[in-house]
Amino acid sequence: MEKDSSLLDDYVLSLAGQAHPRVCFLPTASGDADHYVVRFYRRFSPECEASHLSLFRRDQGAGGIENDLEAHLLAQHLIYVGGGSVVSMLGAWRAHGLDAVLRKAWRKGIVLCGPSAGSLCWFREALSEFHGSSTRVRGLGLLPYSNCVHYDAEPARRAEYHRFVGDGMRAGFAAEDGVALHFRGSSLEHVVSSRPGAFAYRVEPAEDGVVETRLDAAFLGPEGAAPDPPALAPGGAPASPAFAPAAFACTRPLAV
Amino acid sequence: MSGPDVAAMEDRAVFAMGGGGFAMEPTNALLDDFVLGLVRAKQPRILFLPTASGDTNAEINAFRARFADRICVPEHLSLFRLGDARRPLRETVLAQDIIYVGGGSMRNLLAIWRAHGLDRLLLEAWRRGTVLAGLSAGAMCWFEGGVTCSSGRPGPIEGLGLLEGSLTVHADGEPERLPAWLAGVRAGILPGGWALDDGVGLLFRGRRPERLVSSRPGAAALRVDAIAGELVRHRLEPELLGAAPDGPLGGLDEAVQELRRVRLLRQGITGERG
Repeated sequence: MEKDSSLLDDYVLSLAGQAHPRVCFLPTASGDADHYVVRFYRRFSPECEASHLSLFRRDQGAGGIENDLEAHLLAQHLIYVGGGSVVSMLGAWRAHGLDAVLRKAWRKGIVLCGPSAGSLCWFREALSEFHGSSTRVRGLGLLPYSNCVHYDAEPARRAEYHRFVGDGMRAGFAAEDGVALHFRGSSLEHVVSSRPGAFAYRVEPAEDGVVETRLDAAFLGPEGAAPDPPALAPGGAPASPAFAPAAFACTRPLAV
Repeated sequence: MSGPDVAAMEDRAVFAMGGGGFAMEPTNALLDDFVLGLVRAKQPRILFLPTASGDTNAEINAFRARFADRICVPEHLSLFRLGDARRPLRETVLAQDIIYVGGGSMRNLLAIWRAHGLDRLLLEAWRRGTVLAGLSAGAMCWFEGGVTCSSGRPGPIEGLGLLEGSLTVHADGEPERLPAWLAGVRAGILPGGWALDDGVGLLFRGRRPERLVSSRPGAAALRVDAIAGELVRHRLEPELLGAAPDGPLGGLDEAVQELRRVRLLRQGITGERG
């Protein structure tokens, strides 16, 4: 849901593999901000069976899903998690049992995606900057890596991530704004972007600090280098056909 | 606040409102002025925590509108939007004279506070003498338990346990909540406690209830305990603060209308703000 581009949304919709996919939006990290929910419906309701799940208005019949959260989420093709505070979001999810439901959804093959906090949450560990210094946050752990978003947004971000990985945070992936990491199972399958010249990075601990490896992103726009994103890990273990969990983690400025 | 690290018990205060204040009574400031009057500071620092509602703009704007032209230093703390403030939470929280907690989902409120470590900071602020005030979820959270509609139907929920007993709110305004509370107390799931109507506030000094006040004529409170499996109820009459405004202002009808208006705003998806 980038303001000026629908390329990442189109890409993630293509992963659902349905003409009219069921897509549920979780705006928890923004506190269920109304304008974010509106933006979601504007973007997705023309092509999808769109719904959203509010954890703040469950008593008010506000148009979201109020009753059987689990049944509703497990019936989706795509679950789209909005940006905001990853710490607040994970706290609220756990209080409503959504962490377990989302793990189940992933195992069932439902595509999980989201920008910013909606990317960080799928990883074992995440770097979060909120109210002061950077902190290490424990995510849902579907992807056994660490994650850092908005990598190009502030100069300090890269240094912080390097410091954390150097200090024992597990190896992981950083993404610049407009770049998305597409995992199948737990292997990174594609890196795509809505902006030419944006990159993702693999950051690993090394004997002397960290090693950062730049990963090229396939630009999804018209002047793009490749219509099909290049496969990054041809030797990686793809998920079994009956069991195809996928997470699509992207990063961009929070459009809340 | 430059007070000592530990305040005497009688200098610690919690003000729990069953509903009312800026969020529900835009034309009746009696409860909010009472809150400001609880501290000695000439220009109290008052921090609003809108966490339970998900930091709705409507609620933050109502807070600003109420306190902007009063003698105080108002600010709000968002746990969803970073904004420009990158002060550590501890610094923000422990600098206040008053912390005012809004209503909404009590389950989310406590879970999010705990995720940020804010629950411990609030208890520390209380021990240092910061007044803790709040309505609805922001009132029940200080007790051992309350009744939340966080999952749809009203049901018992555990609070922070700073104050003994349980609390239920909107006793007159949300009729489905009271029976759930009474059933919880009768069954021993919730300890005995208080039911507050909209507009009623219960002030604790230390852990002792000290004053019961109200912004509206006719509003009341109940004290209920389960004794040998039977409910024993006492109706408590609050002292009416100030002079009630002319006409129906601040009355129940208007409050109900206001609540409906806020709910419509929150429903938002048909709104014009996107």
